[in-house]
Amino acid sequence: MKASRETKRLFVGGLGQNVSEVDLQNQFSRFGEVSDVEIITRKDDQGNPQKVFAYINIRVAETDLKKCMSVLNKTKWKGGTLQIQLAKENFLQRLAQEREEAKAKKEKSTIGNTNLLEKMGVVDFHMKAVPGTEVPGHKNWVVSKFGRVLPVLHLKNQHKRKIIKYDPSKYCHNLKKIGEDFTSAIPISSLTWELEGGNDPMSKKRQGKFSDFHCPPSKIIKVQEDESPSASLAMRSRHHRVIMKNPHLTLQQTAQEICKDPITPKSPHVPDSDSQKLKRNKNSLSDDDTELEDGLRLMIAREENFGRTSCSSVNESENEPFEVVRNYFKSNVQKHCSLTDSGIKNNVSHLDSEGNVVSNNCDYDSVDTDDVAMKKVSKIKNNREFSQMEKSLYKKTSLKHRKNCELSDHCIKVQKRKNNIQLAVNNRVKHLSCKCLSKSISSEDADCVSESANSEEDEYNAMMKNSLHVTFTLADLGQLAGSDLKAPKEDTKSDGLETTSKSDRASENHRTSGSLHRSKQCIYPEEIVASLLEGEENTPGKQKSNKNNLKLKFQSFKGIGCLYGKEFVKKSMKENVASGDTSKNQNSLKLQDLTSMSMENIPSGKLTPFQCAKKADDPNYIQPQKRQFVFKSQNYKVVSPSSSDKGSRIPSCSLLTLKDKKYVSLGAETPRKGFEEDCCHRSTKTGKVSEKGPDLSSHVVPEKSPEVSSRMDTQGSETDFPLSVESSSDVNAKDKQAEDNQKRLAALEARKKAKEVQKKLVHNALANLDGHPEDKPTHIIFGSDSESETEKISTQEQSCLIEKPVKEFLNRASGKLFDSDEKEYDSEDDSSRFKIKPQFEGRAGKKLMDLQSHFGTDDRFRMDSRFLESDTEEEQEEVNEKKTTEEEELATEKLKALNIVQSILRINLSNSTSKGSVAAKRFKDIIHYDPTRHDHATYEKKRDDNQPKESKAKRKKKREEAEKLPVVSKEMYYNIAMDLKEIFQATKDTNEKEGVPWNEDCDGEKAKEVHDPAALKAGAKQPSGFTFSFFDSDTKNIKEETYKVETVKPGKNSWQGASFFEDSSSEEEDVAEETNDIKPRLGEISLPEKETTRFFFFSKNDERLHGECIF
Amino acid sequence: MRPLTEEETRVMFEKIAKYIGENLQLLIDRPDGTYCFRLHNDRVYYVSEKILKLAANISGDKLVSLGTCFGKFTKTHKFRLHVTALDYLAPYAKYKVWVKPGAEQSFLYGNHVLKSGLGRITENTSQYQGVVVYSMADIPLGFGVAAKSTQDCRKVDPMAIVVFHQADIGEYVRHEETLT
Repeated sequence: MKASRETKRLFVGGLGQNVSEVDLQNQFSRFGEVSDVEIITRKDDQGNPQKVFAYINIRVAETDLKKCMSVLNKTKWKGGTLQIQLAKENFLQRLAQEREEAKAKKEKSTIGNTNLLEKMGVVDFHMKAVPGTEVPGHKNWVVSKFGRVLPVLHLKNQHKRKIIKYDPSKYCHNLKKIGEDFTSAIPISSLTWELEGGNDPMSKKRQGKFSDFHCPPSKIIKVQEDESPSASLAMRSRHHRVIMKNPHLTLQQTAQEICKDPITPKSPHVPDSDSQKLKRNKNSLSDDDTELEDGLRLMIAREENFGRTSCSSVNESENEPFEVVRNYFKSNVQKHCSLTDSGIKNNVSHLDSEGNVVSNNCDYDSVDTDDVAMKKVSKIKNNREFSQMEKSLYKKTSLKHRKNCELSDHCIKVQKRKNNIQLAVNNRVKHLSCKCLSKSISSEDADCVSESANSEEDEYNAMMKNSLHVTFTLADLGQLAGSDLKAPKEDTKSDGLETTSKSDRASENHRTSGSLHRSKQCIYPEEIVASLLEGEENTPGKQKSNKNNLKLKFQSFKGIGCLYGKEFVKKSMKENVASGDTSKNQNSLKLQDLTSMSMENIPSGKLTPFQCAKKADDPNYIQPQKRQFVFKSQNYKVVSPSSSDKGSRIPSCSLLTLKDKKYVSLGAETPRKGFEEDCCHRSTKTGKVSEKGPDLSSHVVPEKSPEVSSRMDTQGSETDFPLSVESSSDVNAKDKQAEDNQKRLAALEARKKAKEVQKKLVHNALANLDGHPEDKPTHIIFGSDSESETEKISTQEQSCLIEKPVKEFLNRASGKLFDSDEKEYDSEDDSSRFKIKPQFEGRAGKKLMDLQSHFGTDDRFRMDSRFLESDTEEEQEEVNEKKTTEEEELATEKLKALNIVQSILRINLSNSTSKGSVAAKRFKDIIHYDPTRHDHATYEKKRDDNQPKESKAKRKKKREEAEKLPVVSKEMYYNIAMDLKEIFQATKDTNEKEGVPWNEDCDGEKAKEVHDPAALKAGAKQPSGFTFSFFDSDTKNIKEETYKVETVKPGKNSWQGASFFEDSSSEEEDVAEETNDIKPRLGEISLPEKETTRFFFFSKNDERLHGECIF
Repeated sequence: MRPLTEEETRVMFEKIAKYIGENLQLLIDRPDGTYCFRLHNDRVYYVSEKILKLAANISGDKLVSLGTCFGKFTKTHKFRLHVTALDYLAPYAKYKVWVKPGAEQSFLYGNHVLKSGLGRITENTSQYQGVVVYSMADIPLGFGVAAKSTQDCRKVDPMAIVVFHQADIGEYVRHEETLT
């Protein structure tokens, strides 16, 4: 029963007025639980209750309800007949119910869905959970940052046992977290570039990398194996390794990192013998390691192909994978640096992660290759993230490294040297490139190089060997500077890679020789730093050619290197900042930086044994050199301010000083010396190249007889100028170069003298310039300028730059203008001097030329063909005069015909045509009216018929004028001037005068023409303060002015005078007629004008105005 | 070969003026030299002075032609324009008629131009006005006389003659012997 009870709402109508709720409740409680009673009373207008009814919520069973209905319905109760009906539920309740229902529905549906999904075995991906919560029922699935359920990755490194857990909930973005500096500058272009990236050849092509794939497909697959299986993850893991293992090694502390690494206990590890090393290498290398190496090699080969395609200048052996690297480096310096940096990092990681055995074997070289490979991988593959990461890392690190790390500097230098080398001869190029290659790879073995040389370039064997030495030394130095551990390892590693018996021997030899070399070759600028440290230790190292010694050396180097590295970092940083101009000439600037750094380091750090390493033979020598160097550095400092000054030259300026100057200037970034810089660089480069030749030759020698000094000099010259200078200063070394330098110095001195003489000349010229305004200075300057030019060429060769400022000064002063003029003249004269200009061709042209010859070459007075119009008329007249009787007959005939035509057409042909038919009849199809032409005056409508005769007379005059033109005499002119004065005296107002003839004269254009020259005159007079506007306002003054001018240059302006004459004569007539009108107006209008203009344009004492006042 | 009499000149000019109007004087009064009309064998030639001098060396009975023949005088002393004058008159023509490509050939065979073949016509062309007939490519084809004014041309049926044929360049082929 109870179960079936339901809440019902009953309507109870017909209640009595006095029924209360309680009554109702009591009444209905018999049948069920009454929960709510609501009595409603309906009242009429007067307030008398009409109806009373109630709603009862009752919880009742069905049977009870029926019973209730049957019992109570239509029964009389308390004065009313009850009507009981089932009512609808209360709307509130209904609303609530509906809501509930809807909610229930929803829940139902969702529940159903989830059920479905669960049935299908799918996890609910829309979990509302805090990131990081594990998905219930699914192991290793976690709600990630953005609400997605992602799996937790367990990454295992290839070389390590350690498994890294990658929890997606901890990284809001995968790239971001792993990449560390995702924000650091990645150019957008590269980003998009990478986005396209695919491993397949098509995508590569799309990226613009066209590679002819020489690699066999299997190898490619191998590489892909290395790369593709979550290559990004692998790389990431590797980086992680780096980061995690060396927590103290942040990217920014890489420099320190380098320093610390050598200190770490793993490093002091020296191979006993090459063969042992080899074996160990082979044994120690784990399988995956070897695989990795193979893959790397393949990748390198591929890269090589890339580089070959990209770089057209590659001459190197193609099979050698490392050369590719070189190309790669060539292409972009930055990457190289970064690469080396990363290599260092990798080394660190290797050391940390791998066992001792592996660590022993891990070469600097190998690491580098690894890095290269990684880079390639990153580039080649789809892993944008990884590449970006790496790039960013590289960039960051490279920037810092460049400043901080010796290694990076070294790399830069190497690259620079490479560039220089490329300029050099092919052989040299190759040799050097080998060097560079080795350097860039940072410790490629001599063995490898030699192998490659043997296999491909038999011709260059000797050179290669030389190069090997060099490379080895360089590598050693670099290693010493960066991380000393790797030097021995390099050899071993390379050996392992090559797995050749030769390599052992070669390596041994190389080592022995290399040690010597190393000690000797400290001259390299990069090694200046190292050499400073080395100096002390090299001596023992040198004495012992054994490997054990080498080991010792290395160890000792480590410590020193660390110390040095710190020191160096600071200084290099400072200096780099100081010389901020890296953009312009990167190579030069870097060189400068390096040199400057080295130079400054020496005095500041007091690391005396600068070149001691090589001069270990004579330790005594070291000290003086040191002193010298210090002295030089001081000089350099002294010179720097002097160099900034234009004229000041240091009497003791030698090559060194010059170079120092140059450096200083460059460092100071005086922008106007950009040209100088270029010149300097060129010269220096040439010098380098030239010096390299001997260097090479010397290289061969040192193996047997370690001639330290020569090599030192040569190499110094190669890389660093100060070094070369030092070498030159070290005359004790009795080198060829020293002699050369001396010669050079002498030449320089001579040049300097010449320069000073020049300077004097220039000074004189300049002094004169102030005094003499016009011709003289230009001539003098011209002479001096030409001299300077001739000297410039010679000086450029010798790279003496002292003169340049002076030259520049000259140019600034006046030379440039003149130069440009010269050029113009040259171009014009040479090409068209003897050609007859088109406008002078023919008879008319001759005449025109005559005219022009009369009026000089001034543009303003140049006669052009317009002035020939009158002549054409004459010509035509002449032609007409020549007419024969026959022609006359024809003419008459024509005339007749025309008459007939007129009669036929019943039109009146114009007078001119009819009248002038006998004379020059011209084709007047469409007349283009030119107001400047005299003959076109006939086309003007003549408003004023008052003076037709006068116009005729004028026409005649015009002709006369045209004939007379060149022969007008001065006297006439002066007479006219007198006339004008009189006229002006009478009229005074110029504006009106100007206006009247203009309008009223039948030959309007004539007046205009007359005024034109005046206007020109005014223009010419502008320097003296007259303008066109002025001319407009006050013509009279201008005319006076023109007269004055003409008195100065009567010959030139005779024609103009003539025109004035004509004009004034015509004006005279006009004025005579109109003076009456003008006079009254004159006083009123002109006076105020004059006052204003006078104060504006003239001084009060102007003589012209005085004249007026008199009048 | 003799100059035209005044009467002849008048007749000829009247005729030519029908086509080129007042531009006629441009033919007589040329800027590039002296040109004149000469009568020879009842034909009127438009000759430059230079050629006139040259032709003076040839006896009259042997002289076939000189200069450019503009037309000939009929026995009744009317002037009939030849197509050879087309090159001189077409540039100055005042009223032009363009015939459609389909009607070109018909006209060049000596037929009149029907309205169906009329491609374009200068407005304000009056009836019996001399016109120069052009192809739609603006190549002068010959002379004609407007049979209807421009307004009338709009109303007439397509087969009505719009332009009477007078001379056409087909004559160079058809009347080769008489065109001298």
